[in-house]
Amino acid sequence: MNLKRQVLLVSLLTLVLPWAGYQFIRETESALRAGQQQMLAGTARAVADSLTQYPEEFPAVQHNDHLFGDQLYGHPLETRPEIDGYFDDWTLDKQSLRTMRGADGPIRFAIGLLDQSVFLYVEVSDRKVVYAEPATLALDSGPRFSDRVALISTSPPYLEETLSFAAEAPGPILTYVKTAYGFAPEPTILAHWQDVPGGYQIEARIPASKLGTHLGLVVSNTGAELEAPVRSASFSSRTPGAFVRTSPELTDAAETLVQDGMRLLVTDSAGWRIAQSGSLTMPSAGAGAAGSAWLRIAYDAFVEAGEEAELAEPDASGREQQQYITQALDGNQSVSWFRSSDSGKAVVAAAQPIKIGNTTVGAAVLQQGTDAILSLRNQGLSRLITGTLIATILVAITLLGYATWLSRRIRRLSVAAEDALDSDKLRTSLPSSSAGDEVGDLSRSFSHVLRQLADYNDYLRSLASKLSHELRTPLAIVTSSLENLEHEPLNEASQGYASRARDGADRLRRILTAMSEASRVEELMQHGEPEVFDLCAALGATVEAYRDVYPQRRFVFDTNVDTARTTGSPELIIQMLDKLVDNAVGFSKDGDAINIALERKDAALVMSVANPGPPLPERMRSQLFDSMVSMRPGDDNKHLGLGLYVAKLIAEGHGGTIRAKNTDDGVAVIVTLQGDSDGK
Amino acid sequence: MAKKIAIVEDEAAIRENYAAAFRREGYDVDGYEAREPALQAFDVRLPDLVVIDINLKDDVEGGFELCRELRSRAQELPIIFLTARDSEFDAVSGLRLGADDYLTKDISLPHLMARIAALFRRLDALQKPRSKESRMTRGDLEIDTDRMTILWQDHPVGLTLTEFWLVHAMARYPGHVKNRQQLMDAAQAVLDDNTITSHIKRIRRKFVAIDAGFNAIETVYGMGYRWLVE
Repeated sequence: MNLKRQVLLVSLLTLVLPWAGYQFIRETESALRAGQQQMLAGTARAVADSLTQYPEEFPAVQHNDHLFGDQLYGHPLETRPEIDGYFDDWTLDKQSLRTMRGADGPIRFAIGLLDQSVFLYVEVSDRKVVYAEPATLALDSGPRFSDRVALISTSPPYLEETLSFAAEAPGPILTYVKTAYGFAPEPTILAHWQDVPGGYQIEARIPASKLGTHLGLVVSNTGAELEAPVRSASFSSRTPGAFVRTSPELTDAAETLVQDGMRLLVTDSAGWRIAQSGSLTMPSAGAGAAGSAWLRIAYDAFVEAGEEAELAEPDASGREQQQYITQALDGNQSVSWFRSSDSGKAVVAAAQPIKIGNTTVGAAVLQQGTDAILSLRNQGLSRLITGTLIATILVAITLLGYATWLSRRIRRLSVAAEDALDSDKLRTSLPSSSAGDEVGDLSRSFSHVLRQLADYNDYLRSLASKLSHELRTPLAIVTSSLENLEHEPLNEASQGYASRARDGADRLRRILTAMSEASRVEELMQHGEPEVFDLCAALGATVEAYRDVYPQRRFVFDTNVDTARTTGSPELIIQMLDKLVDNAVGFSKDGDAINIALERKDAALVMSVANPGPPLPERMRSQLFDSMVSMRPGDDNKHLGLGLYVAKLIAEGHGGTIRAKNTDDGVAVIVTLQGDSDGK
Repeated sequence: MAKKIAIVEDEAAIRENYAAAFRREGYDVDGYEAREPALQAFDVRLPDLVVIDINLKDDVEGGFELCRELRSRAQELPIIFLTARDSEFDAVSGLRLGADDYLTKDISLPHLMARIAALFRRLDALQKPRSKESRMTRGDLEIDTDRMTILWQDHPVGLTLTEFWLVHAMARYPGHVKNRQQLMDAAQAVLDDNTITSHIKRIRRKFVAIDAGFNAIETVYGMGYRWLVE
């Protein structure tokens, strides 16, 4: 993985920014909500306190009845329904209908309140509707029976009254009231019997004053006129349960207590909603729906889940059973919050028990929308996402640019270092050498190493000539002594020794000559006067001469030019060729062909000497032309590895280059020289 | 009377070895290890030939100084530089000061002897009148083998002993290629390729100084050199 990718990967860390920002916003929101809940709880406490002024409005105080199932709830209605046997004009949801088990299926009913009227709606599943006859219209004591619905009303300790709804035929019906003193039709009660498939429906309007504090519904279903009916009741105990009505006093009080955007519910100790006021929609909320779709998605993906918002709505049955309210009814203040996944709107709620003395008689439930928080968070989130997105992109671009710059510097340095090693004269100045950072340090230490290497190379280069110079005087002592010794009388053995010593000295002299050759070549090139000559003719003549010198090799001279005029020292060029041919001969076998070629490439003259033989080891390729590098196997120590070095000196002294390459069957040394551009 | 040779050489072993060899040939030899004692002795009497090392102890260029001094006193005195310094620059410097030859210390004693004998022969020849027999003419070139002098277009060409021998070897049979070995033998020296190249260059330069159109020495690539006569 290169540096650029690494830095890019690191820049991904900036994605932590939005996450951290989100965490912050969430914390903020959480704190804000907690604050709002606390505030709401305080308000709820105050509301609850003020509601204790109406002890008589809480039914539980009046009659301590805890059989909630037996109790009936009167839903407050907004408009007065027409008494026609249908539920559709009630301002209640179908869910508000209470269900009880009947003989032929479920029986559903609802009781509504408006002004001083009580409305009743009952739908009965009945396989066979048995109508009453005039005689049995009021009574169902037998022996003849009919299907009927009865409301049992009482105000303990007074006796019960039964409001009996039976019909001779579908349509408006007359209601009979049965008391302990007998029964009589009650014309103030308006009722309507409506047959429907699978049963019948009854709707009735009863003046509130006709009903007591307790109310129960009884449905009698008979299969035939003479058959005893099956009775289904809304209460399981002997007497009906309490009839819970909304309290106008409490509702009025609630109206004064509630503020904009708040909803106040007051329940009795059973959880029945006895007062409600206010609504959750802010008058000028603006709905905050301006947030774009992607923001919505991002928001939903991160946002903390609250309880379902539907749970914040007043219970359709009229009895609040949410956990936070039941907790309040147990005597503990509690808070909760709701969130709709559709609208994203959160609702904060607080429930406060209403206590009279030590008894919890009900609960005050305050709810408030969190539009303010939501919009705050929306805006915050929007700004955060935009901001961090820009920041992330900026950081990524900056880091990318930085990494590019850094890696380019490093690559330049590495290329320069390699070039410095490859090129003949070591260049010791590298890029970034004045930079103060680690790359600068690296460059400087590279330079240092290269400088040392250059010094060492210089030392090696001059070593041979220095050595030969220093050794010449002692060698002169040895040779002159030996030559003097020749003139002394020596016995045979001594002569042998002297002769061997002479051979050794002679060899030493040749070695010294070879060692100083390089410096003499350099000198010649410095002081020599270049001349214009025909390289082609010189090569041709020289190759001719090689054929005499090395009869065991075949020499092939191959050229595509007639004349190749160039400037330089022909003697040195020939000397270079001598070295190359000497090498080629040394690495080839008897009978091998040594190819010497000259061709013109643009202005350059390319001369090559190729011979069959072992290929060059890869690692030696660049050092081949260095001083004192020899590759000859099992050397006869005549070769100090100076031949190709001298060849390189000559080639470069003429402004040319020299290189070696492996060919299919051996090695070729290629010398490129500048030809005279005008010469042909 | 035996000829007197002075050796100025700081390396005692070499000095003694050369002195022994010279004595064996019948010369009178005086050895000096530095410039001062040599000059003092030369004040009394000049030797017939001087062999000088350039580097004399701490006196790095002492040999050059000595040569200049001697040349100012005696125009004809043969002076040979015998040194370990093999650079072209030193050779040119030495010869410019009027030395008759510039030799490196790897020359063999027999070769050195031959040169000294030749120098003495020339000295003798200069005493005698010029003889016709010793003269050789090749076009513009005139060689006096006794006096070891060369004229080009009647102008004397100042050649060292080695250079003279090289020209002589080439010009004796014009048109014949002389390879390096033959030239080396003629010059009584063991020379490497570069030294021969340098010598030929120097010879050409000296002729060119007299005649800008000089091109009698031809390089035969891969073989050697030959003298051309128009």
